[in-house]
Amino acid sequence: MAHEPPKPSDAPSHPGISPLPRVPGSKLADLPADELERLAEELGLEPKSHKTKLHLVAAVEERKAAVGAMDRDAMLDVVRWGRRPVAVNASKEQLALEIARIKSMRFDGLSIRGLMVLATMRGMKVTGKEPPEAVAKALAKQEGFFARVARKRRAIVGKWVAGMIGEEEPADGEYQFLPSEQQTTAAAPPPARKEKLAEEIEESGLFGGIASRVKKTADVYLNQKLDEIEQRIDRKLDEIDRRLGEWRDKEIANRIRIMKITLWASVAVAALSLLYSYVSVYFRTR
Amino acid sequence: MPEVDFFHFFRKGVGWIATVYATVVMLQSLYGWWVYLAAGDRYTSLMRRYLLVQAVRLRFWRFAGDLAVCVLLCVAFLIIWRAHYTIYGIETALADGPRTTQTK
Repeated sequence: MAHEPPKPSDAPSHPGISPLPRVPGSKLADLPADELERLAEELGLEPKSHKTKLHLVAAVEERKAAVGAMDRDAMLDVVRWGRRPVAVNASKEQLALEIARIKSMRFDGLSIRGLMVLATMRGMKVTGKEPPEAVAKALAKQEGFFARVARKRRAIVGKWVAGMIGEEEPADGEYQFLPSEQQTTAAAPPPARKEKLAEEIEESGLFGGIASRVKKTADVYLNQKLDEIEQRIDRKLDEIDRRLGEWRDKEIANRIRIMKITLWASVAVAALSLLYSYVSVYFRTR
Repeated sequence: MPEVDFFHFFRKGVGWIATVYATVVMLQSLYGWWVYLAAGDRYTSLMRRYLLVQAVRLRFWRFAGDLAVCVLLCVAFLIIWRAHYTIYGIETALADGPRTTQTK
């Protein structure tokens, strides 16, 4: 039987992310400025680089149209490469939101179609026929000199901090999508993103990277503890069930024993009575 | 003056009292369980289902030996009960026998 991939849903890909508001193009202009800017940022746009609100509205509409025209599998390639937590049935808008959050400039392991999607989300005009090396070079050029210097600086600090705390090389586990809402909640959660501390600091800065790592470590610790508590509760429930079963069996065995004793007593008295009747009849009839 | 057999009087008296007492206690207990389990709230419904599950999970063959002994004891009791009436029948027959021969 062929496995059909789940249909995209409008549900949020994970609890911390709200889905993009479905605002028709004509209504975008009516949005308050801060909401419009937030929407633009979520779609990977720079609100400050647009002179007027109308320019920003046009850019948002254009980006939404570009997202709508993107190949969903290519978007999933990017999400997999960036190891972003999304459900396999996430909609294109949700995938775009996650892709816009990816700041990495290490394109190793990204497919060509994924690279085109990433380039489009970073504001480049690509047709899909350009060589990937050229696209990667253009993306690096688009980053800008100061941003690149800042990233290199963060990378050095990250390596220094990682070396200082003696971080081990994380194992590259296979990427797993988040379970969709239709799937059972008992499914095992996907493994946390195994990213090096140095890379995190390179992407988010010293404090952002360390805070992110502390948060992830705390999350992992909390999840472990919750799993332990759940297992302990399960063990207790099994123990209670087993003890109740034993108590039920003992109770029934006890009742049957009482019934047997009563029946033995009744039979003994009946036999005695029979003997007495026989003797009395024997002597009376003589 | 009627002839009283104290053994049978005691036996039948104890038998009736014990039977009536056991029946009343059992009916009271059954009624109490009925009232408790007939409630419509959520927890009683849960309890009903739990009792059913426990009953389904009960391993009958664990108690089969004891139950077989109980059944055999019941059969023995019924046979002894019937033997009483057989003895009473013999007594009646023996008591009636000489009178029948005299009338002939």
